[in-house]
Amino acid sequence: MDKKIILPGAKISDGRLNIPNTYSDGTATYAAVIGTMDGAGHYLPLETRYRAYVGDVVIGVVVDSIHAGYRVALNLPQSGFIPTRNIKIDLQLGDFVLCKIRSVSEVGDVDLGEVRRLPRGKLIKFPSAKVPRLIGRKSSMLMLLKTYAGGDLMVGNNGYVWLSDKSNIPLLLKAISHIERKAHKSGLTDEIANLLKEETGLDLPVPQGETYE
Amino acid sequence: MSSSISDVQLIVDGKRLDGRTENELRPIRMEVGVIPEADGSAFIEWGGNKIICGVYGPRECVPKHDASPYHAVVKCRYMMSPFASLDEHSKSGPSRRSVELSKVIREVFENLIKTEAFPNTQIDIFIDVLQAEGGTRTASITVAALALANAGIPMKDMVSSVAVGKGGNVLLVDLGKAEDNFGQSDMPLAISNRDKSIMLLQMDGLLTKEEIVQILEMATGACDVLHEKQSAALLKFYEEGEQDDLNL
Repeated sequence: MDKKIILPGAKISDGRLNIPNTYSDGTATYAAVIGTMDGAGHYLPLETRYRAYVGDVVIGVVVDSIHAGYRVALNLPQSGFIPTRNIKIDLQLGDFVLCKIRSVSEVGDVDLGEVRRLPRGKLIKFPSAKVPRLIGRKSSMLMLLKTYAGGDLMVGNNGYVWLSDKSNIPLLLKAISHIERKAHKSGLTDEIANLLKEETGLDLPVPQGETYE
Repeated sequence: MSSSISDVQLIVDGKRLDGRTENELRPIRMEVGVIPEADGSAFIEWGGNKIICGVYGPRECVPKHDASPYHAVVKCRYMMSPFASLDEHSKSGPSRRSVELSKVIREVFENLIKTEAFPNTQIDIFIDVLQAEGGTRTASITVAALALANAGIPMKDMVSSVAVGKGGNVLLVDLGKAEDNFGQSDMPLAISNRDKSIMLLQMDGLLTKEEIVQILEMATGACDVLHEKQSAALLKFYEEGEQDDLNL
């Protein structure tokens, strides 16, 4: 499919559309962030700031501990909050946590639940607009990366990616930065599979069809 | 700068000091994504100007009393390095000039960024002039627009900026250092790409009504050329994936 990159201010439609990362002057709709436009006129942002929505699965770092709970950095302007009454485990500053967004207030305060502490590992930032490509259809990309790296990895909707200490981290970083660069191209999973095969010299069977939770 | 005719000859044999014609821009090179740690960044070489720009945010507003519950606060810091040019900018730290430039650049982007989407936050634009040769405010606006696009901050439009002025009784696009210092007048303009609205207009020296009309036309033409270069830089970054490796 022929995709064209468009800049902020480029016209998307002659009508008024209510889609994220665009704006309308009353008659036409224009792009507000850099994105791609395919032949059918679908606009997909390439670069956005993460915005919290209820139900998002996010990864964060515990940055503060107060009487009522913990503050968690989530790649958002405001930090998220885990009330102590919602969790049974004790968290420590610097812990990586996987959690679900329970509520987002008008001013952007985020309450978190379903907290799971992640084991030792590395946390990296990934553009949140490109997260779907890192997961892949039916999480094919994730399965591919996990298989070749020999360890776990978790992707949050907020763009934080946790890599397990047990996995081959240099290999993962190489593959992930490749995904980041080529996120708007098609045939990415095959490309990454080739890259991983080349890097490791292995040809591993990749399990199929697991859905991402 | 003054409106009196100085004895510096700015036009020799119909050509400008650096051999350009009246409508010609200096050579320009732009690059996007030069600071992996920043949310968005860009670098520009515009003639003898070298300017780097990093954008952070929207992030928590500090100090808290600056924050607004209705929109994000745009903060801009323009700074010229002590080594940026030989004579007058040899001291570091804020000056009357850098405070003014920070303000006018901030106002350009306050009107372009969709700040209402990010209440209680601030967006930081840091502009560092590494080398200066006239026209740093216009180059700064051009490069900051690139950095903001790279950061994914929603904007109504792209903007580019150029100074048009008068030297040797001729209207000149993109004044260089000598033309800026010894010319008759200077008018920096920032023009948005889609609806061609004027985001910045300053003037030094004297100009007639007719000259200003002509300057607006020349500046619009030059800004179109600049926009082409801006989109080429962004396209190079996003299309060909010419990015630095993931920052760790």
